[in-house]
Amino acid sequence: MNVVKQRSRKSTMLEAINAGMAHELENDPDVVLMGEDVGRAGGIFRTSTGLQQRIGSKRVIDTPLDEKGIVAHAVGMALYGLKPIVEIQFSGFIHDAFEHIMFCAARYRWASGGQYSCPMVIRAPSFGGIKGGFWHSQSVEAYFVHHGGIKILCPSTPEDAYRMMIAAIRDPDPVLLIEAVPLYRAMSANFVHDGQPTEIGRAEVVRPGADVTVLTYGPIRYQAVMAADDLAESDGIDTEVIDLRTLIPYDIECILGSVKKTGRVVIVHEAPLSMGFGAEMAAVIQEKAFGYLHTPIQRVAAPDVPYHFSIGDECYRPNAHRIGLAIKRAMAFEF
Amino acid sequence: MAYCVQNRGIKVTNRKKAPAKGKRKSTPPVAACPLADPEAHGIRQVMDAEGNLTGDLADPELPKKTLTRLYEMMVLVRAIDDRGWILQRSGRVEFWIPHRGLEAVHTAATIAFDDEDWIFLGYRHPGTLLLRGVPLVQLFAQFFGRADEPFKGRRLPTLMGDRRANVVPMTTQVGSYIPHACGAAWAAKIKGDDTRFLAFFGEGSSSRGEFHSALNFAGVHKPPVVFLCENNGWAVTTPTSLQTASATFAEKGDAYGVRNIRVDGNDPLAVFAATREARDLAPEEGATLIEAVTYRMGYHTTSDNPDLYRTPEEVAVWEAWDPLERMRKYLENKGLWDEPREADLWARCLADIDAAVHEAEAMPLPEPASMFDDTFAEPTWMLEEQRDQLLAELEPGE
Repeated sequence: MNVVKQRSRKSTMLEAINAGMAHELENDPDVVLMGEDVGRAGGIFRTSTGLQQRIGSKRVIDTPLDEKGIVAHAVGMALYGLKPIVEIQFSGFIHDAFEHIMFCAARYRWASGGQYSCPMVIRAPSFGGIKGGFWHSQSVEAYFVHHGGIKILCPSTPEDAYRMMIAAIRDPDPVLLIEAVPLYRAMSANFVHDGQPTEIGRAEVVRPGADVTVLTYGPIRYQAVMAADDLAESDGIDTEVIDLRTLIPYDIECILGSVKKTGRVVIVHEAPLSMGFGAEMAAVIQEKAFGYLHTPIQRVAAPDVPYHFSIGDECYRPNAHRIGLAIKRAMAFEF
Repeated sequence: MAYCVQNRGIKVTNRKKAPAKGKRKSTPPVAACPLADPEAHGIRQVMDAEGNLTGDLADPELPKKTLTRLYEMMVLVRAIDDRGWILQRSGRVEFWIPHRGLEAVHTAATIAFDDEDWIFLGYRHPGTLLLRGVPLVQLFAQFFGRADEPFKGRRLPTLMGDRRANVVPMTTQVGSYIPHACGAAWAAKIKGDDTRFLAFFGEGSSSRGEFHSALNFAGVHKPPVVFLCENNGWAVTTPTSLQTASATFAEKGDAYGVRNIRVDGNDPLAVFAATREARDLAPEEGATLIEAVTYRMGYHTTSDNPDLYRTPEEVAVWEAWDPLERMRKYLENKGLWDEPREADLWARCLADIDAAVHEAEAMPLPEPASMFDDTFAEPTWMLEEQRDQLLAELEPGE
């Protein structure tokens, strides 16, 4: 393909996800897409609009309503040599399939001495901000990062969504793709739909800065940038914001490079605080860069309670204001 | 012969200790073996207890060579079980899952499928691998957890498989792999391949959601898969009566639009006939659920004690329907078997097992670094760092 001749296209996150899946479905006959309502309707969020019409119902499959069954059948398909993309309608429904993701898909290669593998993509629409309440706004990533065998990606721009989708489908191991529901239609971006995957395991410095590092992922990164911009203006604090993009394996070089430069760290995620992904970040930073830290590592997260329906988007989900307070704590802390 | 009689005489399973005084007030009545009244239980048979044709299911009339191969494998499988038990009780194998009494189902079903077909194995099925050409020493290397077996010593003894034989190892959460087999069959159908699929599981697994997922998907999408439910009476300590209120496990297929049949699981020819027909119908009809009614003569595992939940009288009822005895009598009735052949077979089996045990036990254990292999296609930096640290810490100190 001649990239130069391809025009860049303006795509929302939704369109980018659709385009990434379409590219792989059209170019690899082993790729299948399956899930509840993904075929005729194009998924309840419409991420797969038109794909069944283009590819056919044999490979874009409306399944029975059974998350465990969907993932378990995809495991079998992957064992035989297909590359299934599985849509879980909301990540809040993924727990019924947990065993098949973590103890079957993520374990088959190891448990068979390398004889079998389960290359597959599990799409988990996640995060709050859509008035979804408890079951429809969950951030489930921490349940899946506890052991190896599965990669965890979280795109938060349309181009990342497109390239991470392609990378995930082509990866030889199972991949959990955490999709940001609140971003599906929130923005659009121009990029060339050239079928090129992203490199898994690389973070992105979204906003360079010298004083303090904010480590985050998912839609909350935009709140982090807002907080950084506000504090630059009001307090003259120069904040670096890093979008981790990949949780397993995370980009340790990028993280340590920033921490060693700033000496102050704020970790932000939408998921609950305790034993969350931020806990691992804090642990690894103090192990590998203790001498560089000027102040204790700060965390901004949801409390350890369920996502509240009527006031959760405003009071439960971290926002720019709370991130700003944490940045100030990191800057002002005195021993 | 003395060797063989001695071995067969060892009651390695169900060894009965005298119950403590007053512990068991009265012996509950022992139910008759359902195989003795197949019509009443909807159980299809080729042969009766004496190896005579019942006139129900037609004798598949397998070639003589196939019949003797099947019987020889059933005997070898029993001899492996006898030895596995002894190896565990003498501390040489860590764990054992006995399969005494269950020799017929998996061997007969395996030969009902072609070698290119995929089998999702349970854990009482050594005959499947052997029938597909896997050497005996490889099985014992697996039992001993040695490095040089396909799964590199990572799995419990008897949780076997081998991709080179198209035998997929089970995911150890029993029953969880039923939809994996169904999904693989569905994949073959999508790819336009003619591969057929067989999944073994026990009646206890039919209570798991995955069984219902698999049958439900199979009814809708008609993948070429045979679900073979070995109803051996006991799921660890739980009897079938506490597993389901359905009269049979086979009839659960009706709810999902999946064809089903209930056969005598101690009648290898009935198992063969039902399984072969299901395999042959798979491209057109899709899935079949077969319930093979059999009995676990031995312990659930070497960590079990059946005296806590069943009586020796119940086991004795099933002894009369021992699949080895029935198949031997069937062969004798056909003039294909006699005492000298029997003695020679047992002697060969024991000699082969001796040789395999000695060779496998001498093999090395896996290196610690190998536990990090195969987690991903390529290890992450995280795993490499953990591996290097662990290996450094395992080095003997000064």
